[in-house]
Amino acid sequence: MPTPTKGARLGGSPSHQRAMLANLATALFEHGRITTTEARARRLRPVAERLITKAKRGDLHARRQVLGTIRDKDVVHTLFAEIGPRYENRNGGYTRIVKIGPRKGDNAPMAVIELVEPLAEQVVSEATSATRRAAGGSSAAAPAAAAAAEAEVTADVAGESKDEPTAAEAAVDEAEGTGDEPAADAADGEAADGDDESGSDSAEKA
Amino acid sequence: MAVPKRKMSRSNTRHRRSQWKAKLPQVQKRTQNGRTTWVVAHRAHVVEDSQGTALFREYNGRQVGDA
Repeated sequence: MPTPTKGARLGGSPSHQRAMLANLATALFEHGRITTTEARARRLRPVAERLITKAKRGDLHARRQVLGTIRDKDVVHTLFAEIGPRYENRNGGYTRIVKIGPRKGDNAPMAVIELVEPLAEQVVSEATSATRRAAGGSSAAAPAAAAAAEAEVTADVAGESKDEPTAAEAAVDEAEGTGDEPAADAADGEAADGDDESGSDSAEKA
Repeated sequence: MAVPKRKMSRSNTRHRRSQWKAKLPQVQKRTQNGRTTWVVAHRAHVVEDSQGTALFREYNGRQVGDA
């Protein structure tokens, strides 16, 4: 459920804010990293990430929806051809905001908002195979923990100092995701049973 | 236009003015190339070479654009 933004619109009116966020998103996808005020970066983040999610979907409808925000077709093409596929393995969190201190002139707090690096390929494939094996197991918690541990090991093997923490986190996330699935299945099964009983009851009444 | 209904007393004026104070900035000490620098928390800082030339901005061990 998207919550409405609190407080005044950026630039004073809703249309001004929409135009400003569209321009900022266009610049972000064109350059990969932009410097802006902290308030604008905070507002831009959900807008840009929603557009990237659409780009990951990649169909014509998604493209037309994105074109409603970003008017530049070249940028939309880059978004769908390069940026979307780059984040295939990442579920949200495509941007990073780093504060860089006040601006000279009006002392406005500035920030850099940038597209994050894609997850390392090898680690991700390892993690997915681990989760597939974990999904075959009987109990939910133990395989998830094992997968998480394995993912950490693979991340260590990958050994790139920058990508290491993010990759490990992602692997752990995926492992947790599989841990949830059996519980959800069980809940569904119970719900189905309940429906069956109620159905039989109604049949008896009839 | 809104106008004040009553005169603001000298006491109230002086109380208001006395609340306007400077705050100490929260900075951390850091040694870089043998020189002591001060960094503000949760903010990117500029990395310099030994000559004191600014190279790039860094935060959390990650490069964040040019200086």
